[in-house]
Amino acid sequence: MHHVVVERWSRGSSPLHARDPRAKLGALLGFLIAVSTTESGSQFAFAAYAALLAAAIIAARVPAGALVRRAALVLPFSATFALITWWSGDSARALALAEKSFLSGLAALILVATTPITDLLRSLETLHVPRVLILVIQFLYRYLFVISEQAQHMRLAAASRRGLRFRAAAGALGVLFARSWERADGIYRAMLARGFSGRFPALAPPHFHAADVVFFCASVSASLAIRLAL
Amino acid sequence: MHIPDGFLSPPVWGAFDALAIPVVAVVARRAQREMDNRKIPLLGVMGAFVFAAQMINFPVGPGTSGHLVGGTLLAIALGPAAAAIVMTAIVSIQALVFQDGGIMALGANVFNMAIAGVLAGYLPYRLLAGISRPFAIFAGGVLSVLCSACLALAELVISGVPMPRRLLFLSLGLFLVSALIEGAITLAAIRAIERLNIQRLNPAPAPRRTASPVFASIGLVAVALAVVGILIASTNPDGIEHLAVAHAPAWMHAPLADYQVHGMASPWLRRAIAGLAGLILIYGACVFTGKLISRYSQRSA
Repeated sequence: MHHVVVERWSRGSSPLHARDPRAKLGALLGFLIAVSTTESGSQFAFAAYAALLAAAIIAARVPAGALVRRAALVLPFSATFALITWWSGDSARALALAEKSFLSGLAALILVATTPITDLLRSLETLHVPRVLILVIQFLYRYLFVISEQAQHMRLAAASRRGLRFRAAAGALGVLFARSWERADGIYRAMLARGFSGRFPALAPPHFHAADVVFFCASVSASLAIRLAL
Repeated sequence: MHIPDGFLSPPVWGAFDALAIPVVAVVARRAQREMDNRKIPLLGVMGAFVFAAQMINFPVGPGTSGHLVGGTLLAIALGPAAAAIVMTAIVSIQALVFQDGGIMALGANVFNMAIAGVLAGYLPYRLLAGISRPFAIFAGGVLSVLCSACLALAELVISGVPMPRRLLFLSLGLFLVSALIEGAITLAAIRAIERLNIQRLNPAPAPRRTASPVFASIGLVAVALAVVGILIASTNPDGIEHLAVAHAPAWMHAPLADYQVHGMASPWLRRAIAGLAGLILIYGACVFTGKLISRYSQRSA
């Protein structure tokens, strides 16, 4: 599955991988706010944002082509609305719509390509995001691939029997539901046997270094400078 | 419909982030109080199930197929608070891992699909299950998808994405079709689950006390009309702005005045700072009340 690639990238090592997830999250938010508030016509600003992201990709040492192709997945959706906007006679806005959505998507992708999801979630927990939500997201992410594979097997089996009719598809869904429910029960008992106390233990609590402060300040002021100057 | 970043204007995403954060915090507290640790893996795995269920295609008419969206199914199987948490987790994973939906637009997407969508899906079940359970489940699926889709489109339109009238009615028609499909899939899936009759698997029983059918139907039709009404009204932003300015209480007036009325003329920085300050304020308030509540409950325990 294609998202496994991002997971592999996130385990790499680079100056950007080494930064605290909170610093990267703050930098991302600063970038996104700057992009979101940029006026439609200012092409120089969009070019500068792209250059900023290019610098981040180089620093992160992840394959640039694959990253950009993945971020381009948002473009069909943007292009639809951009076309509507263009037809209504606002071509600057139409272009900005595609540019903003692509740049924002790419920036978010750089964050997850340099930060393992578990580290990101752990740092969100230190920012007081509700524990239940964090735990549910963690379980969801862990079992997403397992249950998706099950669903894929079912789909393959159905396709080899020339597809499912409506009721049969509902039956397959019911079976998938029941299996997931039973699996959850088994998971809980297995975790209880291994001493689960309601939270995942962390090997090393996230620590905010001086380099993280520098990174955060530098990237936010770069975004701000582009927004204000161009 | 997941809104990517770059589509919503700063006041719109700011407002929805500011709305979604406290609501999710409250729902999470409620869910945390209501359930033990046993339920947590269940919620996560059920989220994974809804994700995976998108791979199972339901043939609908020649050449087209639909798939489960899941808000109503989760609300019936797990209860509304837990379902809202699971849907929030799904929308967050979609935004973070799959770049399906934006980060700044996360509040709007969470509000549309995890809060409004789950509530609209649970409401008919709550009101009508005593009269006709199958119809209640079907209506839940329909209302849930209709509500999420109309809200999403309304947010886009308020943000200034132009939407010609003809296109608006075309998309309303498409929403209605996909809403009916979701209703049919939800009903068929719940029947299939119940037919399996597994011991441990007990979807939440239908609430015993139900409202009178006339009252409940009127209520549901009102919700549907309001949702569609929001969408149509949003294509006429002058009207909304007028309403907001005329009817907002005085304490809301001051920030709103800068925010919207001459928002376009004022420098972007003020808007961005106002939005950011609002988010920080709400974050602080959430942490503070959370601390207060936990201290209070410790003392009383």
